[in-house]
Amino acid sequence: MPLIETRDVWKTYQMGTVQVNALMGITIAIEKGDYVAIMGPSGSGKSTLMNLIGCLDTPTKGEYYLAGSRVSELEDDELARIRNKQIGFVFQTFNLMPRASAFHNVELPLIYNGTPKDIRHEKVIRAMTSVDLADRMNHRPNELSGGQRQRVAIARALVNEPSLLLADEPTGNLDTKTGQEIMNLFSRLHKEGNTIIIVTHEREVATFARRILMIRDGQIESDEVVSETEKLANGTKL
Amino acid sequence: MILWEILKMAASALRVNKLRTSLTLLGIIIGVSSVITIISALDGLQQSIESELEVLGPSTFIVTKFGIIMSEEAFLEALKRKPLKYEYVEAVKKGCDLCTEVAADVDTRAEVKYREKKMSNVHLEGGSANLLNIIDIQLDQGRFFSEEEDHSRRRVAFIGSALQEELFPGLDPIGKTIKINNTKFEIIGIAKKRGSTFNDNADAIAIIPYNTFTKYFGDSRRSTDIVIKAASVEMVQPAMDQVRVVLRAMRHVPYDKEDDFGIVTADAIMAALNDITKYLRMGLVGISSIALIVGGIIIMNIMMVSVTERTREIGIRKSIGARQKDVLIQFMYESLILSMTGGVIGIAIGVILGKVLISLMNFNMTPSLSAIMIGLAISTGVGLFFGIYPAMKAARLMPVKALSYE
Repeated sequence: MPLIETRDVWKTYQMGTVQVNALMGITIAIEKGDYVAIMGPSGSGKSTLMNLIGCLDTPTKGEYYLAGSRVSELEDDELARIRNKQIGFVFQTFNLMPRASAFHNVELPLIYNGTPKDIRHEKVIRAMTSVDLADRMNHRPNELSGGQRQRVAIARALVNEPSLLLADEPTGNLDTKTGQEIMNLFSRLHKEGNTIIIVTHEREVATFARRILMIRDGQIESDEVVSETEKLANGTKL
Repeated sequence: MILWEILKMAASALRVNKLRTSLTLLGIIIGVSSVITIISALDGLQQSIESELEVLGPSTFIVTKFGIIMSEEAFLEALKRKPLKYEYVEAVKKGCDLCTEVAADVDTRAEVKYREKKMSNVHLEGGSANLLNIIDIQLDQGRFFSEEEDHSRRRVAFIGSALQEELFPGLDPIGKTIKINNTKFEIIGIAKKRGSTFNDNADAIAIIPYNTFTKYFGDSRRSTDIVIKAASVEMVQPAMDQVRVVLRAMRHVPYDKEDDFGIVTADAIMAALNDITKYLRMGLVGISSIALIVGGIIIMNIMMVSVTERTREIGIRKSIGARQKDVLIQFMYESLILSMTGGVIGIAIGVILGKVLISLMNFNMTPSLSAIMIGLAISTGVGLFFGIYPAMKAARLMPVKALSYE
């Protein structure tokens, strides 16, 4: 059973009097432990697809199964529960709480599922250590570099041990070198057994994944496995 | 547990924007304190009137020429009535078996002198010897006058503590001779202090025998009040009926005409006063509530701005698993913290202002618990009422839209 399975998923927006189809019959399956890049030019529908996979939005039509349960027709609060437990988000703009410490940012998902304080503490430290930021826990986001901020965001995404790590242009706001470091971190997390989906418009970033789904005009254009040659070219530590 | 964590988030969100938070508080503080000031001043007034009326016990009533007059026409009509006569007292004693005590009572204002010292505007009462059995004036020193002294029109006086303090500082007044409107009287007793109510000093009083009063200060047109104590509180109404039968007969009131006299009880006075001041009180509370509503609108306005400003924050919270309820509670907490903090400060200011107002009007009051409870209740209510809409707006934001908000 795949971790993620969509069957003929459509997403239609009403823009004034015009109907816009952002997704037109997407059918994909992603196995547990896989590392997939969703690639496409802007306006292709890749962000819409990511929002659906991340349970931030629901499809207009079609079915979506996450870990075997049908989530396409769940209520708002049930989706919140799934986002909290099953999905870890990493955003292009980090999306940290600006006035809270790194520690509190990472702690927040645990607060929302009612984890007791001592267990929260332990889990936050573990997540911060796994992104090498154990010494920056009391810093606020504006006291951290871009790469460090993104690592705080990754720690926050990991803290509930989700079944899926979902990253939307995670290197978009970072310089090349820091971007490379973040991608190396994702590769390591993948090796440790995490399922990762990255949304990007850059081929170079996408080649860090095992598999690339190309999307264009709301439809899957191609589904390929990244070759060893390309992996070597982007400097992935194999 | 989670509620406590959310409360901490709400409190820290308010600390971020200190100026805005304090300006918002100010609105509620002004609103609550003005309502509390008015309520505690009105409360003080009420307490003061009630303590004034306590001199009449619950089983006591007074028959007077006028009764309680609520309109000008009734007053003009009552002016034509014949005065009540002393003979009625004896007739009531005979005709009312439910009346345990019946006393005559007349009063006027007089000037009292002792040597060079004098006190004017003293409440001078002429009463029967059993008057203290009916009204709540306690004996402190000496004695009250006897029935015999009343019949023989002796010039003896029972005085209030204010007269003692004013005319006999450091002296024992018993046995001393004072002049009441230039007539000599011997002091035989002193009443316990009752305290002042309104601007009237209840202790600036002198009581002399009824018949002595009519002999020296009498006036044939003066009406005599009949002060009556019924056998029990339950017997007040039947006793009143018996008294009315006696008086109607003595005054030859035709069966189809209304009483040409009035009956006054403490409850009736209170009810009449409340009736007169009802619209005044409603108006005052109403006007002061406007400030409170404005305070509430300020909270609502600020919370709306805050929700819009923090749309992205709400999106982030939702993306990591905050439910609608969690967001709703956070924003409700914020408006409740604002309104209740403002409420507590407003209550403190209101109680202080109320006390100042009361002391300016020169009567006592105890800080009113009801004003504090009302203050807390209304500030909580304002927070809930004006906070719910912005909080619901925040809770219902779609995560995707909120996250992409710039």
